[in-house]
Amino acid sequence: MENFRILNRIVMINIANNKYADVELSGNTCFVGTNNFGKTSLQRAILFFYSANSRGLGISQSQKPFEEHYFRYENSFIVYEITTEDKNFFVMAYRHNKLCFRFVDAAYNADFFFNENDEALKIGDVLKKLDKFGIYYSNQIDTFERYRNIIYGTETDKNLTKFHLLKGNEKYQNIPKSITNVFLSSKASIDSRFIKDFIANSLSNENSSIKLEQVERQLRQFNEKYTDIETYLKKETQQLIELIDKKFDQVKMLKGSQFELAEKLGSSLKYAEVQNEAIREASKAKEEALEILVSDFNALKGNSEEKQKDIREEIGYYDRTIREANKKLKDYKEKNIEEAVEKNKQKEQLQVELNMARKEYETLTSNVKSIELKYSSLIEQLRNDKAAFINTTNTKTSLIFNDYNERQLLAKNEHNKKDGELKEKRERSLGDLNAEVTSKQIEFNELKSEEKVIRNTRFYENEIKLLETELAELRAVTYKNRSEKAIKSNMIQTLQKEWENTEGKLKSSLSNQLSKINNEIIKKKTEIKEIESKLSSQADAFYGYLEKNVKDWHLTIGKVCNEEILFRTDLKPAYKKELANSLYGISLELDTVSVYSKSIEEYQAEKTSRLTEIKELEDSLSQFQTSNNEEKILAADRFGKQIGELKEDVKVLTYSLELAEKREKKLMNEFEDWKQKASAETEEALKGNRQKQNIVEEELAILNKKKNNLLSDFNDQFDQLKKHHEERIVDLKSRQEKEIKEIEDEKDKTVKSFDDKEAEFTTEKESSFKSKGVDSKQIKEIDKRIKALQDETKEIDQYSQLVNDYLKDKRELFDKLPDLIQKKEDYVKTSNEMANHLEEASRKYNLKRMEINKEKRAYDEELIEFNNGINYFTKNFRETPVYNKYADIVERAEPRKTNYTVMDLCTQLLKNDSHFNEEYGAFQRYVNEFSGKFRLENHFNFIIRNDASQAEYERFAQNLMNFIHENKIELSVAETATQIGLVTDSIATKVKELSNQQDKIQHIITLIAEDFKKAEFEESKLIEFIKIKIEESDNKVYKLLKKIEEFKDEHGMFYGEGLFNTDYASGGKNKEINNRAVKLLESLRHAIKEQEQEEIRLQDLFELKFNIKEGVNETGWTHKIDSIGSTGTDILVKAIIYITLLHVFIKESSHRSSKEFKVHCIIDEVGQISAHYLRELLKFAKNRNIMMINGLPNKSGLESHYRYTYQFRREEAGNVRVFPSIVTEVEA
Amino acid sequence: MDYKLPKQTHEIFSIMARGHFISSNGTKDNMGKLYDIINNPENFDHFQEYFNIIRYKIERGNNFFYFSKLEETNSIIEKKLETFEKYIDIIDLFASMDNKITIGSRFRPSEIAEECNANVRLKQKLQKIPLYRSETLSNKVREICDLMTRDSFLEKEDEVSENYKVLDSYSYLMDMINSIAIYEEPPGSENAGGIIYN
Repeated sequence: MENFRILNRIVMINIANNKYADVELSGNTCFVGTNNFGKTSLQRAILFFYSANSRGLGISQSQKPFEEHYFRYENSFIVYEITTEDKNFFVMAYRHNKLCFRFVDAAYNADFFFNENDEALKIGDVLKKLDKFGIYYSNQIDTFERYRNIIYGTETDKNLTKFHLLKGNEKYQNIPKSITNVFLSSKASIDSRFIKDFIANSLSNENSSIKLEQVERQLRQFNEKYTDIETYLKKETQQLIELIDKKFDQVKMLKGSQFELAEKLGSSLKYAEVQNEAIREASKAKEEALEILVSDFNALKGNSEEKQKDIREEIGYYDRTIREANKKLKDYKEKNIEEAVEKNKQKEQLQVELNMARKEYETLTSNVKSIELKYSSLIEQLRNDKAAFINTTNTKTSLIFNDYNERQLLAKNEHNKKDGELKEKRERSLGDLNAEVTSKQIEFNELKSEEKVIRNTRFYENEIKLLETELAELRAVTYKNRSEKAIKSNMIQTLQKEWENTEGKLKSSLSNQLSKINNEIIKKKTEIKEIESKLSSQADAFYGYLEKNVKDWHLTIGKVCNEEILFRTDLKPAYKKELANSLYGISLELDTVSVYSKSIEEYQAEKTSRLTEIKELEDSLSQFQTSNNEEKILAADRFGKQIGELKEDVKVLTYSLELAEKREKKLMNEFEDWKQKASAETEEALKGNRQKQNIVEEELAILNKKKNNLLSDFNDQFDQLKKHHEERIVDLKSRQEKEIKEIEDEKDKTVKSFDDKEAEFTTEKESSFKSKGVDSKQIKEIDKRIKALQDETKEIDQYSQLVNDYLKDKRELFDKLPDLIQKKEDYVKTSNEMANHLEEASRKYNLKRMEINKEKRAYDEELIEFNNGINYFTKNFRETPVYNKYADIVERAEPRKTNYTVMDLCTQLLKNDSHFNEEYGAFQRYVNEFSGKFRLENHFNFIIRNDASQAEYERFAQNLMNFIHENKIELSVAETATQIGLVTDSIATKVKELSNQQDKIQHIITLIAEDFKKAEFEESKLIEFIKIKIEESDNKVYKLLKKIEEFKDEHGMFYGEGLFNTDYASGGKNKEINNRAVKLLESLRHAIKEQEQEEIRLQDLFELKFNIKEGVNETGWTHKIDSIGSTGTDILVKAIIYITLLHVFIKESSHRSSKEFKVHCIIDEVGQISAHYLRELLKFAKNRNIMMINGLPNKSGLESHYRYTYQFRREEAGNVRVFPSIVTEVEA
Repeated sequence: MDYKLPKQTHEIFSIMARGHFISSNGTKDNMGKLYDIINNPENFDHFQEYFNIIRYKIERGNNFFYFSKLEETNSIIEKKLETFEKYIDIIDLFASMDNKITIGSRFRPSEIAEECNANVRLKQKLQKIPLYRSETLSNKVREICDLMTRDSFLEKEDEVSENYKVLDSYSYLMDMINSIAIYEEPPGSENAGGIIYN
């Protein structure tokens, strides 16, 4: 039994083309066989033991997978037997759907797997056999990972811990990786890239690379967002947004207005259809009403005129009577009627006095009666003669008087007749004229009444009232909207302040957290630097010396030396054997003293722990930032949404207010229009009325003039007639007076002669009396008195006719005069009242007539308008695309009267549509131009297709407006700003993670270099030295990645504040940082694109250079060693390097306590190496506990250097047989 | 002499010297960025000064730039006009579409071909365009798009979906068309009717 563990044997049962092969592997082994005989397959099977990774065996994709090629049957097994310090165990690999393993606590025994007929058993039967033999076997191991854990001694299951090959540490994965890498790379030429790959692959885990595709995706996403935002923030774009906003408003307004008009059109049309018959009926009713009104009025007028005529006649009668009475009264007055009446009253008195005087006279003359009688008879006779003469004369005078009076009367009658005729003529002429004047006057009065009516009529009252109502309602709504807008604006301000406060708080908390964590990170970094400086200087320091030269120094010196001393380089330590276990010669019991010194691993672990802490801190910061951002986004979402909604409301309100303002303006204009129209209508009506009035007035003036002329003509005629008449009368009177005077003169003469005779008789009588003694004096006095009385009576009698006439007139006329005047006045009053009444009735009639006419005209006009509208709509509108556009609205509208005609509405719709199309075209252009500024797949989703519908365009604009109102750009900016931080951080973290491995690489390279040094090439002098060194990577992408990491280190966790020009407060510093970050990311993106590399792996982090001296040949520091010497030399060097690498990795990856194990180094095709070199190589490997498994194409003597040699032979049916070749191991 | 030119100068020159335009809404080949670089007032003067040496002048359109030659001969101008003539029919076609092609519009040739197919007037207009030989309408439109893309009036945004975008330089064509004045010669003259370019 060996005192180390090793893969002792591999047994293949029904594997690939091999039915059974049992190959021992406990020493250097070589496989001899020509190509395609299965050497490599066997080597892969061995490799599978170490790697347990069916994908990493170098099987090309064109070949069958490992599972299918190797495990074709249910009874296919690969058995790996491991030798341990005490007993062997084996592990079998088989396929149970997938590859599985079972560890068996026994040495391999073919009986376990075959039956009596040498037929391979299935796993179940194998297990039964094992059970039968009472052998422990593990549960089925289903995963490669667990298998590796068991083999490399990291399994925690106590039942399985014994089945390990070696005790690996946490890095044990490097062992299978290294073995695999050696196997897979063995055919390659010696290139530092290969070594790099080898080292890197050995150190790599799944996270040990930066997937550039992922980085590129992040960068692209960031770049796209960044570009989108930049595009959005451009001045031209903002201008376009303004234009879109403006146009969109206009388009909406126009559309709204078109909808309104379409609805009005629909309403008007339906109203017209519904109302047509009704209006026709109403018009007819009005016509009838008008006829009735006219006939009623005419009847009233006729009646009134009849009555007035009668009254006028009455007035004429009374007027004439009064006039005649007055005239008579005047005549009586002129004839001193009052005196006459007074004297007439004294007549009876005078008659009594006369009778008394006569009685007295008779009494006195009774003595001289005969004388008296004689003289009385004489006198009487004389008197009678005189009276007869007077009577005759009077008769003559009377005849003349009467004749002339008659002539005068005739003349008067003739005059009267002519006057009457003239008057009649005048009256007739005047009558015609007056009738005409009256009719004109009536017409004038009617016009006046009409004017009054017009002045009192409010034209378009309904329309104006409607507008007033609408205006009032609109103003009320506007007032409400204004208040609401003000309230919402205030709310926006408040919310914005709140938002700003929240953001401020978040910003300050983030910046506090940032500075806090950055400080901590700086602190940790300082610590790391300290550790790194210790690690880098340890080789030259006391520490390095102890590591190299003093075993377990940590348990002795490490307990009494502080770090400062350990890492000093100036101590020049030298080993003094005699003082080996003492401190300056003093022995110390240090068991209870704790160790102060730390191993390199502990320092590494410490460094790793610091790095982890930094990472944690950064993660926590990142988390904080993410949560901060989330909060920010939440706040933005919350406030933005609210503000957006409010802004939208405000906008809607503003828009409504604008609309309302426009509407108000429009309504006001309409109102003013209607008012103007009304006043124009009034003016028009008044104008017509005035014109008519003027004409009538003129006609009246003409008629009056005509009347005046006529009157003056007639007056002239009357004057002439009167003059002629008066002249004639004067002539007649003068002739009458002359003739009468002549008669009167004759009469006076004759009377005087009679009087003289009478006086003669009287004197004779007196003388007779005297002679008879009678007092003639007294008789004379009495007689004188009688005569006087007779004269007076006579005079009274003269006026008796006049007085009688007067008294009669007085009784019949003068006393009734007041009554007559009163009656006349009454009639005049009644006439006036009737005239007024008629005038009032006429005014009312005119008003009513006008009103009815107006109403009828309105109905007629409306009817005409309806018909015209319907015709216009049918002929000029219904066939247009505009109708089709609004057909739904037009058809759906309810019948309703509107302020507009159908024709106007159609025209307006057509006109507006053309305007709308223009505006919409501009709107579409702006939207296209705007969306065209962005990428096709921009993250704002500002995309519109050319064939988009109107609704889509409008939705686009609406979304854009929402975007603006909700300030989504801020969110996007915040997200992108966060993203740049996150992308930078993510890259930096990845680079850091990867870069952290650089220490490991450095460490490995150091170990390799040392191992090279340790190589005892001196013996053979074949290879003088192999040197290796590490240099900085020249990978462009990695360099940029590194720059980003440095950038991040320099600026700490940054979150892109002020990335765009939106945040002016951030100032130039942030801008500069951001610009640098953006440029770096951009360069990285380009570099990734150019380099077309999928990932940045560990090997991209550094460059390796070799310097190899073989004999006199020295390669110098180079990446690639094309040829050092012969091919054999090259293979040797390569193998040495591999073995060194393997050794280093195994040493690094296994537990310190686990030292007693050996592994295999599988290198195919070493045929060209010389025996000498091979021996050297095997020895080199042996010194490092590594057994070689090599392939040779044929037997050449080289196989004699191996402990085991197996040959491959192809048998019938293509099966391959592996059998041991009998050779002697020369040196291994 | 140091003109302080940006590093993209060569790129800019190589585009514009071919008679192409640099539009602000172009996305391919960093066109938008190049536009921003030229549009930067600090750079513009430097560029102008620099290119003037080789007798080029940067002309500024509405959101696009192009080169013009200083002191161009009439024959070159005539040649340019001849080149432009073919665009008259194309613009006429584009402007007659229901969905008018304007700056920033995105379309596929198949959409235009479909519209042309459905509309006799457009079909005639398309068929009238003389310089193409393609048999199907789609191919003809495609060729027009290719031509316009080559002349940097369009940009093919997506190869798979054949999505084109109209660039800002399209307004150059529109401006040219708008500056054409059609005049009638007096009757009797031999060449009645014609166009002049303002």
